[in-house]
Amino acid sequence: MTMKLAEALKVVQSVRSHAPPLQVALLCGFTPLHLETFLRAHLSKLFPGRAPNVQTGLYGDLIGNLQRVAGVSAAVVVIEWPDLDPRLGLRRLGGWEPSQLRDILGEVNRSRDLLQSSMAAVAANTPLVVCFPTLPLVPLSFTALSRASEFTLELRSRVASFSAALSHLPGIRIADPQRLDGLSSSRRLDVNSDLSAGFPYTLPHASALAEVLAGLVLNPPPKKGLITDLDDTLWRGILGEVGVQGISWDLDNHSQIHALYQQLLHSLAASGTLIAVASKNDLSLVKEAFAARDPILREADIFPFEVHWGAKSESVARILHAWNISAEDVVCVDDSPMDLAEIKAAHTGAECVLFPRENPQAAYDLLERLRDWFGKDKISQEDGLRAASLRANAELQHDIKQESPGALSDFFRQIDGKLTLSSQKQPLDSRSLELVNKTNQFNLNGRRFQEAEWQNWLNAPDAVFLTVSYRDKYGPLGKIAVIAGDLLDGVNVNGATTDSSGKRQLCIRTWVMSCRAFSRLIEYECIRWLFAKLDVDELEFDFLPTARNTPMQNFLRQVRNAPAEPHCRLSRAQFLQGCPTSSHVVEESPNG
Amino acid sequence: MAEIESRLVNCFATAFPELDPQEIPSVSMGSLASWDSLAGITLLSLIEEEFDISISPDDAAGLVSFELILDYVRRLSSEVAK
Repeated sequence: MTMKLAEALKVVQSVRSHAPPLQVALLCGFTPLHLETFLRAHLSKLFPGRAPNVQTGLYGDLIGNLQRVAGVSAAVVVIEWPDLDPRLGLRRLGGWEPSQLRDILGEVNRSRDLLQSSMAAVAANTPLVVCFPTLPLVPLSFTALSRASEFTLELRSRVASFSAALSHLPGIRIADPQRLDGLSSSRRLDVNSDLSAGFPYTLPHASALAEVLAGLVLNPPPKKGLITDLDDTLWRGILGEVGVQGISWDLDNHSQIHALYQQLLHSLAASGTLIAVASKNDLSLVKEAFAARDPILREADIFPFEVHWGAKSESVARILHAWNISAEDVVCVDDSPMDLAEIKAAHTGAECVLFPRENPQAAYDLLERLRDWFGKDKISQEDGLRAASLRANAELQHDIKQESPGALSDFFRQIDGKLTLSSQKQPLDSRSLELVNKTNQFNLNGRRFQEAEWQNWLNAPDAVFLTVSYRDKYGPLGKIAVIAGDLLDGVNVNGATTDSSGKRQLCIRTWVMSCRAFSRLIEYECIRWLFAKLDVDELEFDFLPTARNTPMQNFLRQVRNAPAEPHCRLSRAQFLQGCPTSSHVVEESPNG
Repeated sequence: MAEIESRLVNCFATAFPELDPQEIPSVSMGSLASWDSLAGITLLSLIEEEFDISISPDDAAGLVSFELILDYVRRLSSEVAK
């Protein structure tokens, strides 16, 4: 059910004016009219703490609008057929005779080239959402409507190639026509409105389109983990009743939907989503089922297994502890409404969804929802390492417990810890920004950034940027830490003296480290490198306490021998006095 | 008929949130500064959505007051009912 215009206006009118603004450009060649209203309304619903402000451009000048865009967190480009050639619209009369069709294709090519270069230029600094024509083509070809003409097929093929080429550019997100089809199935073109006001969409279509576009403006962070039940969820049948050979996931046993569910979970695991099992079952039987029946979701995809007869909520608590994430980051799938209710009561933030075992259509809809919850822009190297490194981390923690506190440095030397540091600022590294925006515990101040804001800061000459990757004998952890700050050479950016001693300072404004990298003394190595490599005398920490950054507070207290507080400082001498001896090999990335 | 008037008042209240509901029945394009062409399009779109009707551009040009719009919607509704 799409949002109605009356509802959209009420949503827009109810936005708190003092909320932090969210500046978004809506760039199109037609009058944006209700699309602007719907976009603001959907953005307001998606980002309730923000006050969306949608800037629009000039009618009929999509290229110019692209060239003028500035100072926004994201830009949305809606291309319709007349933007590729005015003869493909209703408001200009250039002729629809057959002799013009070849010329229209040529004009479409010219518009495509111009649009592509303009959009690439915008996307270099601003996240760009792009939507290709959503309206039906005007009846300009000479064939009957049911028959696709060579012209229309060629035209659509060029647009498809155009969108595929754009999708390779960093910073560009293309709206999926299939998603729009699902939301906007009624008539899309409003001839009256196009002719009288230059707004070509029916209200339901404008609403659906705005919903899709708003969802792409600032990608909500994906969920991190999925906790699944086994019986009548991962497979059909109750293992304890029908035995290992009685469970199924295939067409013959009318249980194919369970195979599709497994296939999706296997794909999610390969994309870096954490998968765990919480099942009231006999562990030895479950192990036997995985070994003997070779499910599509492999045993290696799953960590941890919580298989026993205890409460599911306790299983979920242990899984969250093993993953070191909060309930808000997980989805629990189970065929038992009672178990889901019990989990939800203990972990209110978790998404608890029923696996509709008797209804394949509803189960298929669930697969789509799961894909949406766990959707990512791209798969990073770290995504492929996540489950393995969690498993290895459990092993590491076990080994650490066997060591005496004084021997920890020796222990870390023995595990061949190696840090790779990079200070390369370009091109924008989406993994770094993801770490900054997702990390809660070892986080200096909880500050989050939008892509454009992050990139603009790092581009400043005095901005220091450091990413840290790590591996040891337990395996690689990938990129696990990001530090960013500003160098102050005794004077601040306004030219005023910051410190009478003229000390060279680094003000660290952002510092995050993945919880997977805890307990390895990596944070000390980072500080050691900053003092040595940047030749600074003092670090200032733009620290703010948050509800969840206790690990950062503990570290600052330990290294400074004083409680963490906003703008607290650490001198080189103070650090060297209390830091543990270096226990890792540190190398700088060849790329800088 | 009273129901049509009340639904129309709601459309006006959504398009012109600054208006006191009691002022709405007497409002016209001439008396309300914020009723410009853009607000007029939004108002008529709200009415089309609310009453599930289509207002032709020729008719739209004459719909410049609450009273005229109320008559127009009543006429369309009674034609549909016939």
